[in-house]
Amino acid sequence: MGMSFGKYVAYRLVNAVIILFLAVLLMSALFTKLATIQLTDQVNSEVQQWVRSYTQTHHEKPTEQMIEQYKQSRIHYYHLDQPYWKRTWEYAINTFTFHWGQSFQKVFGTTVIVDQIKTALARTILLFTTAEILVIIIGLALGIKSARSPGSLLDRTISILAMVTTSLPMWWLGMLMILIFVVYLGWLPITLYSQVEVSGWTNILKKMSLPVLTIVINLFGGWAWTTRNIMIGTMQEDFIMVARAKGVPERKIIYGHALKAAAPPIITMVIFGLIGSLGGAIITEIVFNWPGMGRLYYEALQLNAVKTMMALNYMFAMMTVFSMVLADILYAYLDPRVRIGAAARS
Amino acid sequence: MRWVDFKDSVKRFWSDFKHQKSGMFGLFFLIVLIVLAIAAPYITSPNIPKEWQTGTAWITNPKNAPPSWENYFTSEKRATQVEYTEKNLHIVKTENGSYTVYKMTFTYDMNYDVPPKDIVITGLNSTATKPQDNPVVTMYVERPKEDGLKYNTMMLLHNTQLPSSGVIQLAYTQQVKSLIFYWLYENGVFKIPMQLPDSLPMDMKLMYLTQQIQMNSTLYGYFQSMDPMRVIFGKMTDNGKLRPLDQIINSPEPLKGTYKFTIVITAPSYVKVDFSNFKVAMVGRTYGLLGTDQYGRPIAIGLLWGIRVALAIGISVSVSTVLIGILVGVTSAYLGGWADEAIQRFTEFMMTLPVLPMLILLSLYFGGRISLKQLVFILVLFGWMGTTKVARSMALQIKEQTYVEAARALGASTGRIVFKHIVPQLLPYAFASIALSVPGAILSEAGLSFLGLTSNNMITWGQMLNNANANGATLNGYWWQVIPPGLAIAFVGLIFVLIGVSLDTVLNPRLKRA
Repeated sequence: MGMSFGKYVAYRLVNAVIILFLAVLLMSALFTKLATIQLTDQVNSEVQQWVRSYTQTHHEKPTEQMIEQYKQSRIHYYHLDQPYWKRTWEYAINTFTFHWGQSFQKVFGTTVIVDQIKTALARTILLFTTAEILVIIIGLALGIKSARSPGSLLDRTISILAMVTTSLPMWWLGMLMILIFVVYLGWLPITLYSQVEVSGWTNILKKMSLPVLTIVINLFGGWAWTTRNIMIGTMQEDFIMVARAKGVPERKIIYGHALKAAAPPIITMVIFGLIGSLGGAIITEIVFNWPGMGRLYYEALQLNAVKTMMALNYMFAMMTVFSMVLADILYAYLDPRVRIGAAARS
Repeated sequence: MRWVDFKDSVKRFWSDFKHQKSGMFGLFFLIVLIVLAIAAPYITSPNIPKEWQTGTAWITNPKNAPPSWENYFTSEKRATQVEYTEKNLHIVKTENGSYTVYKMTFTYDMNYDVPPKDIVITGLNSTATKPQDNPVVTMYVERPKEDGLKYNTMMLLHNTQLPSSGVIQLAYTQQVKSLIFYWLYENGVFKIPMQLPDSLPMDMKLMYLTQQIQMNSTLYGYFQSMDPMRVIFGKMTDNGKLRPLDQIINSPEPLKGTYKFTIVITAPSYVKVDFSNFKVAMVGRTYGLLGTDQYGRPIAIGLLWGIRVALAIGISVSVSTVLIGILVGVTSAYLGGWADEAIQRFTEFMMTLPVLPMLILLSLYFGGRISLKQLVFILVLFGWMGTTKVARSMALQIKEQTYVEAARALGASTGRIVFKHIVPQLLPYAFASIALSVPGAILSEAGLSFLGLTSNNMITWGQMLNNANANGATLNGYWWQVIPPGLAIAFVGLIFVLIGVSLDTVLNPRLKRA
């Protein structure tokens, strides 16, 4: 009983949207509590300001009753008079439908959160796609190469490199890069990394160079090592033996037979690797003052901009959920057995 | 499992593990780290964690000073930190009328191209209750002999009050500058229109001198721009001829040799003076093994104490996550049906939450600046899912095996089957994955600390890096604040990866590769 590929994709997508909504609901429950504290402070300061301006224009203090009335109107304005769960639900719906509103403070020159995140997302994608493409190319090439000769010098070097680089915090490696290439060798100007914004394409490319190098150094070893392990596992399978026995040339065995069979787990690994590097990426952006999502998160954290953080959390959750769905769908596309399994379960 | 069997399997495991070179390497350094973590209070001092934030202990240390051994690699040798305490100060106590006089001497070898940054006197405790009872300090130094210079001995302090918990920083004390100028005047380096009569007491002489300096704009300029330390430890003559004032102040040259310092502390007889915390520091331009941060805290001490938190977090988080993960996975597999389905959906849900943003959110939820326990809790909360997935699929295979069916047929309870038959089979996997999940926990802690979300009450490598980042250490080139903490994190991670991979090879022979 097979499920058509289209149906499978639809099933996974609906599943993903449900999970994403639940995630938003959970985050909203936590953030609403934080926002309550912040909004209560906001109401109090607004009331004080109102009392001051009233006193200045009317030359007398407003009565207790008037103050209370104004306070209630502000509480109503910020929906603080509504029950916690209702606010959580509304906040979740608003977040989910991209009605993110405005932040109290300006970040990236605007208080409109959608605009803040649009700017940041584009820059993060620019940086990380570039780096990940390089990592994938280098990692796969080295992994396949060392899988062809297990135990060789290259193979052992890659194993050691993988162990060492996966233990390094990516953002610390970034700090090291700045020390070496900017401060000691002076190949790049300090202003490139001491300022957040840079203008001009050449400057942006120059600014990108070190973070990209950092990400590549941090990740390629692990990828090469996993690729190697998956490939070695595949190379021990019977169909490879058969191909060898038939006299198929080694190159064709590796790139034709083995790589094709190893592709699904490698792709899963690629996507999970992307998700895994998300956390390190946030802090790496801070280290390099790269004006992307991570840097935005940091600024929101410093300014205690709850709404911006909520929107960012939503974006990160979305990226994670849809990367996983993408991994599933690609896996199902390459390995139809998965679809049948899913169909049997559902 | 019987005790004999257990002993036997441990023996077999050890004889296999012994041959794992990288595993033994990791184990050796793990033991070294544990010993260092336990010994930290004895190597340094037990109240370091309390002192770390408040900072009174670091007042005599230079700020942002590089390690002393940097001198081996540079042509310009910079003074290193030297401290004198009660033990090496030779304090001699005499009575003088209604006053008690404490006299102490010490020598300092100045063999550097750049002299100390400052001389700091601190830690004198007295029972004085009124300001006029405070002990007063007089200090002079006998410099190495120079041909063509009349007076060798320079007065640095003259009856300066030193209250309890007070600090005298010579480089920033106005009186020191006046005394240096007085000494330069006595040696004939510069002249003033009105001679100072010898009969005047020192205080008056200094007052007259300062007045005349202030009236002469050139002299006053020199007075203001002078770095007292460079003059105290500087050459006054060139080939037997006095150097002009301009050269002494603006292009000082170090006078290498042995300097003899004398400190005289006078206090009324009824005031008791306690020297147990007393300290005289030649504040270095370099410091110790690994230099200092922007508050003068030695990096080496932070690094040593950081081992404790790193190991505590790494081990407690990894053990808890793996145990919880295995229990949830096995339960899920054993129960099957809708319970399994529900647990699996929940696990998947937890897996789809982005880890770092969720950790940040929870830290904020706990009020920011979270404690060690809260940190462990949230790291466990977001760490158990991977193990659950693997444990469930392994348990599903074990569940189908005949001996489990036999046990069930014999009427064994669910608990007995899970804990007696399924969980022990998963232990080898558990040990390896505990070791392999330590680096992740340490990295997460470092990340959260770097973002300034963990409590200040603990000393962690992540916080040291946060500090370095706040100090602009990378762009300023303060490498000693950046490299050691990161290397420590990487090193501990590497140790556990090595142990974990070796455990995996020994305990899960299926994974052995050609």
